[in-house]
Parts: sequence; structure tokens; C-alpha cells
Amino acid sequence: MEHNWDFSAVFANKALLLMGLQNTVILGAICLVLGLFFGMFVGMARYSRNPVFYWPSTAFVEVFRNTPVLVQIVWFFFAFPIISPFDINAFTAATLGLTLNTTAFSSEIYRAGIQSIDKGQWEAAKALGMGYGEQMRRIILPQAVKRMIPAFMNRAVELMKMTSLASVIAYGELMHQAKTISTIEFNPIEMYTAVALLFFALIYPAAIAVQHFEKRLAARG
Amino acid sequence: MTEVLRIENLHKSFDELEVLKGIDLTVKKGETVVLLGASGSGKSTMLRCVNFMEIPTSGRIVLQGEPVGREDGERMVYAEKELTLLRARVGMVFQHFNLFPHMTAKENVMEGPKTVLKLDAAECHRRADKYLEKVGLGWKADAYPSQLSGGQQQRIAIARALAMEPELMLFDEATSALDPELVGEVLETMKELAEEGMTMVIVTHELGFAYTVADRVLFLSEGNILEQGAPEAVLIHPQEEGTKNFLRGHGSFRLPTPQLD
Repeated sequence: MEHNWDFSAVFANKALLLMGLQNTVILGAICLVLGLFFGMFVGMARYSRNPVFYWPSTAFVEVFRNTPVLVQIVWFFFAFPIISPFDINAFTAATLGLTLNTTAFSSEIYRAGIQSIDKGQWEAAKALGMGYGEQMRRIILPQAVKRMIPAFMNRAVELMKMTSLASVIAYGELMHQAKTISTIEFNPIEMYTAVALLFFALIYPAAIAVQHFEKRLAARG
Repeated sequence: MTEVLRIENLHKSFDELEVLKGIDLTVKKGETVVLLGASGSGKSTMLRCVNFMEIPTSGRIVLQGEPVGREDGERMVYAEKELTLLRARVGMVFQHFNLFPHMTAKENVMEGPKTVLKLDAAECHRRADKYLEKVGLGWKADAYPSQLSGGQQQRIAIARALAMEPELMLFDEATSALDPELVGEVLETMKELAEEGMTMVIVTHELGFAYTVADRVLFLSEGNILEQGAPEAVLIHPQEEGTKNFLRGHGSFRLPTPQLD
């Protein structure tokens, strides 16, 4: 099939696209920070032997790991407002879905990271007279977090890609902006090509950084 | 002399397996007690019950005249807070050192005073310097554990326990993981502590060390104290068949005194 590539409409709508890119980054960053923060607590609860912490956190993780993110986002946009006391706009629904998803996945990273620490470290901290919280905060987490960094960076990469799913509920991130513009300009081919390139430019450096970090960590043993 | 530690009728089971079958022991201030016995005899478990790294199944631990826990019918119940406070008063040195790898030698030693005792920065530094100096490693203060030999790591671990200024020190096979040429420096450090009057309970396989340093030697077998007494009595003139067999096994290959000059 013949197609005359014409990117002029892409450049003409540069401002709208960049606004979308900005919204993509904002959504991704907020969900990453919140997800990693809550993930720490869920991860610790998953590690706990107390059933009051263990079972709810495990149920949460399993639900969010075993349902599609797209379904989660759509659910928070269409179904959740019915049972929620406050208004849910597209941004809130996307943030909820992606944050909880990131929480579930990162909690597993925390859990695995904590479990990878030698039990002698717990023992030494305990023998010094530290309580559980001090053992965790002073001795275990500082070591575990270092081992988790590559996995967290991978999570960040995944999350940036997942933000595009928010386009289905009309949140104005990059994908949604492109869709809107392309319906006006009739240029989906160029528009989505531009979107792919923009995502690549955003994510590739991060992916390179992950590889670099993993190598460094492996080298140190 | 005053009593630091008293163990009364200590029992410990792991599921069906009864590891300790009623241990009694009193340790006086400044005394060095060495626990000997084959692997599986319960000596490490006994040591770990003293600072509640393992919770005794029954029996009592009395530190400085104060029983730990409270009786609730037949059983003893222990509040986590009480055990945490108790552990801060009892130093422990592990077979595998368990230094904190993300901290320098000095930070390792300061960690207890800082986080547990909540002492001010100046006092933490003073203690760290003092005890690093004591184990002869002041010059390694800024080294990370990975940059130290096994013997040095274990001496740092001893300094870390000492910085809490404990009332009692427990050594759980402190030299078993070390290369033979590094054992001496750690035993030397422990000997100095004993001579300075530290109250110590030591699990070891180093019979020569037990003979030289211990005030009293206990021989454990299958969860009971089979024989105890002065090192001379237990190690040179054992009475029980179990002790004799153990010593036979250890004495199979021995050097005559090497001429080293």
C-alpha cells in the first residue's frame, strides 16, 4: 500500500502532544512514588507471621496481580464511583488503578528483597536489643533496598508504558492526545508513530540505566 | 561473689524433639564458663535460651537475681519489651560474626549504643573508639566488613557487643567459622576479656582454650549436663564415659609441643 508520510500535522500539534507527554510523566511519577511507598507496607505485611496482616495483604496482592491493569483502570472509572463517597475523574481513576497495581507488584519486590537478607542479620540486630521495627529500619531495609533497585527501575519502566492505558478513560496523557489529534487531522499513521518514538525516547534511557545497574550489582556479588 | 545468671530446670523442645532436658547452672560475676559437647548436645540452644534468641519451653532464667517473664499457671509468659531490654544487657557473639555489611566497623560498634541505648553522639563515639581499641582494631574503624579478614570481623563483632557494656557475654562457637590461622587472635581477645573480669558463657570446640581460660567447664550430652567442674577435673580427669569418649575423639591426633625458636 502506498502512503505518503507527512509529519507536518504532528509538528503543528506539538504543544498538545507535549502536554500529553507531560501528563504521562506526571501520572507515572505519582503512581510510582505512591506505589513504592504503600508497597513497602504491604510487603512487610506479607512478610508478617501475624494473620491479621498477612491475609488481607495477600488477598490484595493476588487480586491486583491477577487481573489486567486495563480492567482495573476501567473499573475504578466506571464502577468505583457508584460505591465511593467522592467524585472520581479520569485522573483519579487512573491514579488509583496504576498506584494499586504498582503497590501490589512492588510489595513482592520488597518481600523478596527482605527475604534475601541473611537471617544472621536479624539475629545480630535482635541480640543487640533492637525491636522488630528497629531491626527492619536500621539493618534489614537499608541492605534489602539496595538489592531491590534494579527491580524497582524495571517497575518504573513498566508503569510508564501502562500509563497509556489511561487513554481509554480519556485522561489526557500522550496516547489520548494523539488519538484526539489524529481524529481531527486524519493522520493516525504519523501520529502513532510519533507517540511510539516519544515513548521510546522517554523509556529507553531508563531501561539502559537498569541494565547498567544490574551489571554493577552482579559484579559486586 | 554475686550471681549474674541462674538457669533453673531449663527445657527446650523443637516440635517433638527435646533438645534440653532440664539444665541448671549458676554463673557468678567475673566467671568464665565453657560449654562443651558433641554437635546436637544442646549447648548452642542452651546459650541461645539465656538471651531468649530461643524461647525456653519451660524453666527459668534469672538475671542479676530478677527472674525473666512471669508465671501464668504452668507456663512462663514473656513480654516482647522485657526480652528486648534483657537482650540489650547481654552481649552475644555469633559463629558467623553477622556484622552489618552496610556499616563501617565503627558504625557497627556504635549501632547498639545509638539505636538501642539512645546515647548521645559523643558517648557513642567514645564507646566505639574505646572498644575498637580494646580489640586492637582502632586502625580499621572506617573499613567495611567485606574489607576485613574473618578474625578481624569477629573482633569487631566482639567490640559491637562490648559497646553495650553488657552484664554478661555469650559466645556461640565464635571461632568455628574461621580459618585455623585466624582463630588465635579471636581467642586471645576473649582471654583478655576473661582476665579483666567479664562474666562469660562460651560454647566452643577449642579444648586448649577451655583448659586455659575457663573457671568451670560443663560437658553436655543429649540435653543434660553430664559432667562439670574445674577444667583440670573435666578435661584431664574425666569421670563419665561420655566425656571420655568425646575427649578421645578430640585427642586422636596431637602434636608434641612444637619448637618454635
